[in-house]
Amino acid sequence: MARNIASYRRVVGEESISQLHRLASQLQGRTVVHVNSTRYGGGVAEILEWLISLMNDLGLQAYWEVMEGTPPFFQATKKIHNGLQGFRVDFTASDIQAYDAAAEENASRLRDKLSGADFVFIHDPQPAALLGSCPGRRGKWIWRCHIDASRPYRPVWRWLEPIVSKYDASVFSMPQFARALPHPQFVIAPSIDPLSDKNRSLPESEVEGVIRRFHLDPGRPILTQISRFDRFKDPVGVIQAFRMLRVNPRPQLALAGGGAADDPEGAAVLEEVRARAEDDPDVHILDLPPDSHRTINALQRASHVIIQKSTREGFGLTVTEGMWKSKPVIGGDAGGIRLQVHDFHTGFLVNSPEGAALRIRYLLQHPRLCTRMGASAHAFVRDNFLLTRHVREYLTLMLSLERGVTDRVDLP
Amino acid sequence: MSTDPFHVRSCALIVRMEGLPSAINLRELRDRVERCSPSCLYHHFVERLLRPTFDDPEFTNDFAAWACRALGDTVLAERLGVLDPFSADSIEALRGQVSEILEERLAEADHIPSVDPGKAFYFTRASMAVFDSGMRINEPSEILGALQRMTRASIYFHFVEGRFRRKEEGDDFSAWLRSNGELGEKLAASVSAVDVAFFSLRSLKNELVQRSQRILEHEAERSR
Repeated sequence: MARNIASYRRVVGEESISQLHRLASQLQGRTVVHVNSTRYGGGVAEILEWLISLMNDLGLQAYWEVMEGTPPFFQATKKIHNGLQGFRVDFTASDIQAYDAAAEENASRLRDKLSGADFVFIHDPQPAALLGSCPGRRGKWIWRCHIDASRPYRPVWRWLEPIVSKYDASVFSMPQFARALPHPQFVIAPSIDPLSDKNRSLPESEVEGVIRRFHLDPGRPILTQISRFDRFKDPVGVIQAFRMLRVNPRPQLALAGGGAADDPEGAAVLEEVRARAEDDPDVHILDLPPDSHRTINALQRASHVIIQKSTREGFGLTVTEGMWKSKPVIGGDAGGIRLQVHDFHTGFLVNSPEGAALRIRYLLQHPRLCTRMGASAHAFVRDNFLLTRHVREYLTLMLSLERGVTDRVDLP
Repeated sequence: MSTDPFHVRSCALIVRMEGLPSAINLRELRDRVERCSPSCLYHHFVERLLRPTFDDPEFTNDFAAWACRALGDTVLAERLGVLDPFSADSIEALRGQVSEILEERLAEADHIPSVDPGKAFYFTRASMAVFDSGMRINEPSEILGALQRMTRASIYFHFVEGRFRRKEEGDDFSAWLRSNGELGEKLAASVSAVDVAFFSLRSLKNELVQRSQRILEHEAERSR
C-alpha cells in the first residue's frame, strides 16, 4: 500500500509533519536503497514497506531490494541470526560458502544501483557482504542491525565483525544491542504504522467476526501472544504460564503467528507448541499466513492482555502494536521489551512462566487498572514509537552523515 | 517594546554511542563519567527528554535512574537526582559534582555494587539537527495558540535547552516575552517559574499552555 505523509496529520499533528518536510528539504533527490532478505513476514519487511513510500513522498528517491538466495543460503543466515543472538550454532565452511555465493550473485544484479546510491541501508547480516562486492561505491553505507547482538556466539561474530566494520556507520535498536565497531554507531528504535492494516482502528463487527472465526468465547478473557513460532519467543513458556492460571472465568489463550519466509525452523517449533497444548480447547494455536494483518489487529483488539514472553528479543514490535491498541502487555524482561514495558504503567516485565501467570492473574483481577495502563501504553507509543519519529530519525541520520557526524547541524 | 517576532525553531535528535564501554558497577560508572565527553554528560542530563523513552519525571537524569533501577541504590539515586544541570556553572562543574557523589558513595560501600546482566549503564550522546519551524509569534497574546500547536521538540529547544543556554536569563520564551510590554512581563513571570526537572515534554507543554491560558484569561477579564 503506497503511503502518503499527509495522511498521518490527524494522528501526529500538523507541526510534526511540517517538521519532516523541513528536514527532508535538505535531502531532496538523494537516492536511498534499502536491502533486506525478505519481502514478506517479520518486522523489518513491515518497516520497509512504509519507509520507502514515505521517503519517496518526502522527495527522496528510495528503493527496496531483497536478497535472493537458495535454501542453503537461508539456512546459513538463520544460523548467523541465531548466533548473533547468542545461540551456539554449527556455523560451517559450507555455510560461509553459501553466504558468499549469494552475496556475489546478488551483487552482480544490484551493483550499479548500490554503487550509485547516496545512502545504502543494509538490514541485518543477510545482505552485509554486498558492501565488499561494490568497490566503486560513492555513497554512505549503513549497517542496520535489528537483532539483539549484545552477546553473540563468538565464532559467528568473529566472522561477521570484519564484514560490518567496513561500513560508514551502523544503527542498532537500543544501546544495549550495539557492538564496538570502528565507526559511528547510532540508535534508532523501530516503530509502527498507525494507519496500516495491522494497527488502524477496526469496526467492532470485524473484531467480533475474528472472535467467531477462531471459536473464541467473547464472554471470557482473551490472552494473546502474536509472534513467529520461534524458540526465543518462548511460546511453550506462555502455555506453561496459562496452565498455572486457576481463575474464574477461565481465560483463553491465543498463540498466533506464522513462519517468516526466511525462517526454516518455524515449522518444528509450531509442532512442539501443538504438542504442549495437548488439545486444550482453551489454547488456540493459530498458524496465520503472512498477510493476516487485519486478523492480527482484530485479535489484539479482542484481547484483555497482550503477552510477549520472549527470552531474547530485538525490539518487540508486537509489544508496540498491543500497546497502541490500549492493552497492557506482559513482556519478557529482554531486549527492547524493557524499553516499552514499565511495571504498573504500561504492563509488567516477567522472567519466568510463574511470573507471567502471576501478572496475568493480577491484571484479570483489576480491570480498571488494565484500562488505565492501556491508556498510558497508547500515549507512550503515540509519543515515541510511531513511524513519523522513525522517519525523522532516518532523515537526521542521513543529514548527520552527509555533513560529518557532529553534535549539532544548523540547517538553513 | 520589541517588534521582532519570535521565530520558533525545532530540532530532531538521533542518539549515538559515546564509544565507551558500558558500566556494570559503581566504580566503572565513576571512571567513565570522568572520561566521557561533555556532550555525553549533557545528553544524560538534558537531551534525554527528547529520546524515545518512558516519561518518568521521578528521575531527573539517567545516572539517578540507573542507580535506582539497575543498582538498587536509592540513596545514590537521591543524591544524583537532586543535581540541577541548569544551575551548574558549566558541564565540567556538573561532572565534578557527579564524580564527587560517586566517589563518596564508593567510599561508603564495603563492596563494589554491581548490576545484573543486561542492566549496564550505556554511555550515549546525540547528533541534533536544528531548523526553523516556520512558525512565528508576533505578539505575546499569540503565545497560547503557538504553544498549543508547537511540537515537543520546539518546547525542548526553546524552554529546556534555552534555559541551559541562557542560564540566568531564563528560557527563550521568557526572554522574548520580557521585552514585549506588560502582558509579556506577566506571561514571562509565569512560565519562567516552571521547574523543568519535574516534567516530561508533553506535560511541560501542557503546563506552559495552562499557565499562558490563565494569564490571558485574567487579562481579558480585567479589560472588560
